Parts: sequence; structure tokens; C-alpha cells
Amino acid sequence: MFRLIISSVRHNRSRYTATLIAIITGVAFYAATGFVSDRVIDSLEGDVNRQYGNVDVAVVAEESASSTAVPATISGKQADALTALPGVEGSAGSLVGATGFVDAQGKPYATDAAGRLWITDDQLNPLQISSGRAPAKTGEIAVDRGLADRQKLKTGDQVTVLTLAGNQPATIVGITHFAKSDALDDGGTVSVPEAAAFDWLSNGHRVYQEYYLRGADPDALRTAAAKIAPTGFTALSGDEFRAEKRESVGSFGQVLKQALQAFAILALLVGGFVIYNTFTVIVAQRLRELAVLAAIGATGKQLKRSLRYEGLVIGLVGSILGVVAGLGLTFVLIGALTLFGVSLPGSGLVLTPSNVISGIFLGTIITVLSVMIPARRAARTEPIEAMRSAAVESVKLPVRRGVTAAVLGLLGLAAMLLGTNAGLIGLGVVLFVAAVLIGGPHIASIGARLARPLLSRFGIEGRLAVDNSVRNPKRTAATANALVIGVFLVTLVAVVGTTVKDFAVGQLATLQSADYLVISDGGTVDAAFVDKLSAVKDVEQVVPFQRQAVSVDSTPGALSTGDIAALRQVANIQVSSGSLDKLGPGTIAVPEDDKTPHRVGSTVTVTNDAGTSTDLRVVAVIGLSLDSGVIGNLVDQATFTSIEGDVAPTAAFVDTADGAQTETKEAIQTLADLRPDITVTPGNQLGQTLSTVFDFIINAVTGLLLMSVLVALIGIINTMSLSILERRRELGLLRIIGTTDDRVKRMIRLEAVLISLLGTLTGLVAGVIVSLCVTVSINRLTNVAITPHAPFIEIVVILVAGVVLGFVAALLPARRSTRMSPLEAVQAT
Amino acid sequence: MTDLDVRTEKIPAARAVDAMKTYGTGEASVHALAGVTVDFPRHGFTAIMGPSGSGKSTLMQCVAGLDRLTSGHVFIGTTAIDGLSKTDLTLLRRDRLGFIFQQYNLIPSLSAEENILLPLSLAGTKVDRAWFDEVVQTVGMQDRLKNLPSQLSGGQQQRVAVARALVPKPEIIFADEPTGALDSRTGTEILSFMRRAVDTTGQTIVMVTHDPHAASYADRVLFLADGQIVDEMDAPTTDRVLDRMKRFEG
Repeated sequence: MFRLIISSVRHNRSRYTATLIAIITGVAFYAATGFVSDRVIDSLEGDVNRQYGNVDVAVVAEESASSTAVPATISGKQADALTALPGVEGSAGSLVGATGFVDAQGKPYATDAAGRLWITDDQLNPLQISSGRAPAKTGEIAVDRGLADRQKLKTGDQVTVLTLAGNQPATIVGITHFAKSDALDDGGTVSVPEAAAFDWLSNGHRVYQEYYLRGADPDALRTAAAKIAPTGFTALSGDEFRAEKRESVGSFGQVLKQALQAFAILALLVGGFVIYNTFTVIVAQRLRELAVLAAIGATGKQLKRSLRYEGLVIGLVGSILGVVAGLGLTFVLIGALTLFGVSLPGSGLVLTPSNVISGIFLGTIITVLSVMIPARRAARTEPIEAMRSAAVESVKLPVRRGVTAAVLGLLGLAAMLLGTNAGLIGLGVVLFVAAVLIGGPHIASIGARLARPLLSRFGIEGRLAVDNSVRNPKRTAATANALVIGVFLVTLVAVVGTTVKDFAVGQLATLQSADYLVISDGGTVDAAFVDKLSAVKDVEQVVPFQRQAVSVDSTPGALSTGDIAALRQVANIQVSSGSLDKLGPGTIAVPEDDKTPHRVGSTVTVTNDAGTSTDLRVVAVIGLSLDSGVIGNLVDQATFTSIEGDVAPTAAFVDTADGAQTETKEAIQTLADLRPDITVTPGNQLGQTLSTVFDFIINAVTGLLLMSVLVALIGIINTMSLSILERRRELGLLRIIGTTDDRVKRMIRLEAVLISLLGTLTGLVAGVIVSLCVTVSINRLTNVAITPHAPFIEIVVILVAGVVLGFVAALLPARRSTRMSPLEAVQAT
Repeated sequence: MTDLDVRTEKIPAARAVDAMKTYGTGEASVHALAGVTVDFPRHGFTAIMGPSGSGKSTLMQCVAGLDRLTSGHVFIGTTAIDGLSKTDLTLLRRDRLGFIFQQYNLIPSLSAEENILLPLSLAGTKVDRAWFDEVVQTVGMQDRLKNLPSQLSGGQQQRVAVARALVPKPEIIFADEPTGALDSRTGTEILSFMRRAVDTTGQTIVMVTHDPHAASYADRVLFLADGQIVDEMDAPTTDRVLDRMKRFEG
């Protein structure tokens, strides 16, 4: 039996080549995505383990701390208390602040670098010195390897550092690295010695953002540290801390892996259709051979088994080759991502056994499963079929199949439109897609008949092209299925993605109000800076305000004050209940909060950094907007001073004239670049960023889905080649009685385009229908009004791509169709 | 009749001159045709006979423009086909020749009528409806025109194939073992259709066969052996052909 399989594979090499390509493509893509993401994850997570391996207890901010609030810090006094805990053998505080450099001409560079307090405890310091020495006194810094390479810096260089304490002259005394990576921070790391760090990176006070301890008894230490951890902070064990760090640094890799592999599996499944299709045709073609085997006594079981083994052999060989091809593809993927500006950390290939094994396993399983149905057909081969003519007979479609498809489709539509939860709607989508696939042959048959008048205009070859695809609508549908799924998903992503994007961006636009938001991280928005901003052309008003981190009823948040009338003018502050006019001593305006709703008249407790609490009466609740999120809780000047003391403004809203030009934006940005602590966010920036992110995701997903369309292309080539082989006598006859080679080729091309268009159109229509239903249901269930996006451009692009795909798919088969001499062809059995 | 017509009438429908067809080279070369010169007269029904490997099929294929000679010339009417390009050869077959095969070779997705009209559709020529009806009547397929080949018996399929060859009124019809796959009764019917076409409309037919009964329907039989014409027989009968064939074996 095994010899039969081997010889069958060998004698049908061309047929199997296409199958192999389908498997290899799918598995290679799957394996490559695994390799790439593992490389990233391994590099990032490994670094965390190596560099934070000695941390036993870490005091870090609680996750719930809102990102828009002022970041809370650990004061020097609190840090000393932690260090003084019994059993502490070493401690280190982490402080990160914005820095940058400015060259001799006053032009800033490397403004996204992070300044880090240099940790002197060797075991707790995540950074290592590559060359030079550690920075020790004010005026000395170390920069990371990557930054040094990019900016051509070396030890001994004199530079000017942009810091919260203004421009500072410094000498580079060392170059650092972070385990296998260059830097801890994306924009580069600048290490600042303790002597200068608090001035340069903070407000001059000794504060830390995180605090690390090591000691002989980590558990006891953790319990003790938890007791005295400042409000908003929590004490984590070393393992928890590392897990959290891994998650934050490795999350990119994890997301990458999941996203990539989801589509890799999809590509594999689409490949499954191609394999199924190929084997179906192979069985149909080998019917005579199988029948002879049956006639000489092979049982159905043996025939079935022989095909399954064939699938197993092909699947295994293809999968192994696929994994090997995946190794090569890995570098291509990394290169492609680098081209798109995503530079991946890590180096070399990480060959995890799980990737190799799962790739081979999945590829083989999918192949074997794809062979199941054709194998069952083979088992039913009657010996008598050996005597029958090999000509391809027309296949009549059972009505039952059409009815099943229609019922499933209607059920799916109903579930999508009437479903009361995401599960039911999802089930509806699955049912609907299943209906499309089951009804595929009917769709193919009806679609091809509809196309007949159009194709008949291409002459008799157009007629024949239609007839060929109608002759076996099941096979036409099976060929097109891979394309249907690919196009369906592309359409779904395009339409739903764009719809949600438009909606989200639209929502953000209504939230936004101030033209620019200026925030100083660690410094202040002082009068001199406000003056500079006000002097910029088209800037109409700059409203600075004070803003500090507090906790309100134990929930971290921001407390702000300023010229409230002016704030209301430039920023979007909507009072949902109460009135801001009543804001005075002992009262507060709080933002809307779903979890712990405040009412006008209730009392809240505001606790400052130092732990002093003040009770305030709520006089107004502010509706949620982007601006109110920045402001947080609003009090009058006197109340603010009584809680926080006399602090300078750290934020400002900027109002510009309508239609302000790019030069205004650039002028403001340049001012901000010279102040490392200050970031400027244009009012519509969030909307734009979100829109960009959505666009990126939509494009990335579409790009990945195109992989599956490519696999589908191979399927069409495959079917066309096999169909030409089957019909060689017909083609031979056509050529003998006077069909020129060009017309034969045109017939093949028309058929390929027809199949490809049928698949594309079916996928497109199904995609649009499902998108619309899902959008309607989202509106129905969530009470929002999302306007479905009409993807006209996408539809045109997809349709054109479908036609092109058909032409490309026909290239090879068309050439093959006229290679045999017509005489040989017509005499072939 | 004009002068030109008179002249063409005298020129044979097809003619092979010193036709050589060699397979392989050097020592191992085999002469399928070893210098055959023959005329196929207009309005004649010629049968080509010979044992397997005698070159009878090769001769027909080369004359019909399906295969090329190693040396020598083939004329269809006044056209030398040796120098024609592949495409021109295809168009010549389409416009001037007709074919009938052993394995019917109908297009399964086209109805009987569409199969019959296929050569005309390919050429984009208008159908002479009266002639079409006459041919269909003759082969007795008028009631089955809408049927697909799979719904027809072997004999019926071959009638469709004969009609397909007759309807465009080609200069010559080449038939390769047209009765080889049929039982004797159906085979006889097909042969009488071909005979009638020659007698009533002056159709020229060249038929390759190994069946003496089939050959007896022809005006003239050519006997081939080892790539050469070894004998000719006019007004053949089954018995005479059979006798002549026996001598090959002897």
C-alpha cells in the first residue's frame, strides 16, 4: 500500500506540487509569525528577568491610577522609611523624567530620550556600563548604546542637556546598555547621577516613581513594605513585579503574536480549502485507477486509507518544508516591519520547539482533514466505473443543498439582526457564512448563468468558459471558496473597521474643545513660557492652571484651579448638575464618575501627597470631556492653596484663531521642544492619533488577509490546471476543428476570471451584508447611532483585484492548455 | 461554371507529394511515411487501409494539417500547407476541412445542435438553415437537437459528429475509424450517411479504417504497408478488400 502511495505521488507530481505550495505557504506564514513574535517576546522578557532579577520587593503605583492624573510619587521621607525596614539589604529608587539635548546652534535633538536616576546599588541597577564609567557628580551623564550610535556621541563629549532645571552642560562619562537591548526606554536612556537627578528630572525635591528593595526574607519584607507604602502605591513581590514588567515590555510581542497567528491560522484554513479541492479533483481523475483497484479486490476502506495516507505524506512533507520556508520568511517579515518603521528588539532566530512542532502538526492535520471528504468519495468507487467514459459529466445539484443553505442563511440573518447579545450575533455571522459556503455551488451555477450573456459577447469561447464552470458547480464553488472567505474577511475588516473608526473619531471630535493642551511633566508652565506662547501668531489666549495629584475618597485623581471663567471659555467644561458659580471656600466640582457617582451636596475627602485630608462639599458635577479629564476636580484658588500650598501652574489650555496655520502649530511645538518637561497636544490630536491607529490596524489586518487571498490564487491555478488536464480531449477537438491557440487561451482566461469574480463578488456581498447587520445590531444594542461606512472605493479595489487575480491565475494553465499537440490530446483516454 | 471553377474541378481536393515522415534520428529512425505521392480526387470517397503501423493514420493526419511532414508537400486544393503557420493551419482546418473521430469527441456542455454548429460559430459564419435542416434530417437527429451528448447513445453521438462535419460544407472531411466504436448496425448507418453525402452533394471524404465492410462504402481503397502505398482498388467490395488484406498477413 505504501509503495502505491509513493508511486502515486511521484506520478502525479504536478498535481501535488500545487497542493504542496498551498501547505507550505500556510505553514511557512504560521511558523514565521511564531518565530518573529517569540524572538521579540524572548528578548524583552529575558531582559526583564536578567535585569530585575534581584528585586525582592517593589513599591509601584497601583494600576488604577488614572493616566491623565498627575503621576503620584514616593517622597524622600517615605523612601527612607522603606529603606529602614528591618531585613533590607539594598534599596533603590527609580525616577524617570523627560530630557533632551540641544546643539551649539540651539537646535534640540533626541528630545524623546528619558532621563533616569542612576541607581548605585549594582544588584538593583537594570543598566550596565558598556564603556566608560558610571556618572557620579553633577555635570556627568551616561547615555545608552543606541542613543550614542544614533547621535554620534562618545565618552568625553561635552553636551548641553535639556532638563526641567533648564539647559545644563554635561560630560558623557559612560555608555550603557540594558541586557541584550540598548536602552530601557524607546527614545533612549540618559543616566543622571543622584546629585543632579532630582533637580534635572523632577522639581528639586527628592522623589521616586518606583522603589525597589532586596532582602533575605522577601515575604516579610513585602508585608512590611505594604503597610507603609504611600497612597496609590502597592508593594509587589519580585516575581509579581517581574511578571508585570514582562507584561508591559512583552505585551507588544504577545499582541503581535496573537494578531499575526490568528491570520496565520486563517491562511492555513484557506489553504485547507485548496488542499480539499485538489484532492477532490485528484480523486475524480483517478476514478478509473481507483475502480481498477476496486475491481481487483481493494476494499473501500483500503481505498480510503490509501488517500488518507497520501494526505498524511503530503501534509507532513509540506509542513516540514513550510517550517523551513518559515525560517526564511521570518527575516522577510522582520525586514518588512522595519520598512514600516517598526523596529523589533532582539536578534537572531529563536527556534522554540513549540513553534516548529505546532507548525508541522497543524499543517499535517489540516491536510489530512481536507482529504477526508474526497477519501470518502474514493471509498464509494464502484468497479464498474472503470468501464465508464472518463469524460466529465455534468453534475446535477441536489435541491436539498439549496434549501439547507437558504434556511441557514435566513437563520443567520435573523440571529444577526435580532440577537440580544454578542454571542448570538456571532453565531449568526457563522451561520450566514456557512450558508454561503454550502450554497456555493448554487451561487456558482446561478452566477455563471447570469454572466453568460456578458461572456457570450467574447464569442464561442466565452460561452464555453461559462459552460465549463456550470458543468461542475460544486468544483467551481470549492475553488472559489478560498477566495470567498478571504474577500469576505477583507470586506468585513474594511467596512466594520472604517465604520467604527469614523464613529470613534467623530465622538472624539465632539468631546474636544481646547485647541492645544500644554502639560509640564515635572516642571511648571511659568509666566515667561505663557508669554512666549501668547506671542505666537494666531494664539488668542493662553490659560495656565495649577494641577496636582490627589486622591478623592481614596481614588487617585487630579485637583486643579485657575481662572475658572477663562478656563470655561477655552476648554470644554460642561456642568451636568449644580453650578460652578457656587465654587468657593470648602467646595469642589467633581467629574462625572460611573463607578462612584457623586451628587451635588455630598461631601468628598481630598487627600494630598503628604497625606493631609480635607473634606469638601460638592457644588457641581462636570460632564465627561477630554478637557475635563485633564482638569479632574476643580476648586477655587484659596481652597487649592490650603490643600497643596502655593504651587505654580503645570498645565495650560491654548486657544488659537480659527483657521490657524501649520506655522502656528510648528511655532508652539518648537517652544515645547526646548522645554523637555513640556508636551503639547493639539486639540484634535487624539482624534487624529486614534484615526491613524485604526488605519494602521485596518491596513495591517488587510495586508495579512491578502496572504490568504494569495493562497486562494494558488487554488484557482490548481483547479484550472486540473480541469484542463481533464478536458484535454475537448480542447484537442476544439483546436482540430479550428479554434486557434489564442482563442483556447482566452477561453481558459475567461473561465479563471469568471471563477475569481464569482468568488470575489460572493465574498464582497456577504461581507457587506454581515457588516451592515452587525452595525445595525451594535446600534440597536448599545443605543448609539453609528452610520455604516459605505466602502465604495474598497469595493471597486477588491473587484478589480478579483479580475486581476483571475488573469494571473490563468497565466500558467492557459500556457499549458495549448502545449500538447491537438492530435495527442484528442486521442488521450 | 466559370473557367476558374472548371480549373479547380480538375485539381484534386488534396494531394501529397513525396510525403516523408520520420520519427527519431540515425539508426533508430522509423519511417512512418516513406515517400508517398497520392491524389484525393474531388467528390470522391477514399478509404485508406493497412495493418497497424503501416502509416495510414499518419498519412491522413499529415494531409489534414494535424501533423507536419519531415519532407515532401501537402496541398489542400491549390494551397501548399507545409509553410503555413500554426494559426493559419488552424484557420485552414476551420474553414476548409471537417473531421469525424472514433471517439465522437463532442463538447459535453453543448447541446447536439450547438455541437453541430460549433465550426460555424468558431468561424462566425451565418448558418444556412435549410442545409442544416437537411443534414439533420438525413442523420435523423431532428428530435434530439436540444439534448446534451451525455443524453445520447454512442450511435446518436456519432450522427451528431457526422452532421458537425457536413454542415459547414468543407472541401474534405477526414474520418478516422468513424465506425470503430459502434456496433455493426449503427456503423452501417453512419457509413451510408457518408456515402449519401458524396453521392448527393459531391462531398469529398477521406476515411482511415481497418474494417473491410467500412472500406466497401468508398469509391477507392488505398492500401498502405511500411509507409508506402502498395495497392489501390476501385469500386471495392467487402470480400475483395478482405482478400487483399489477407495477403498482408501472408
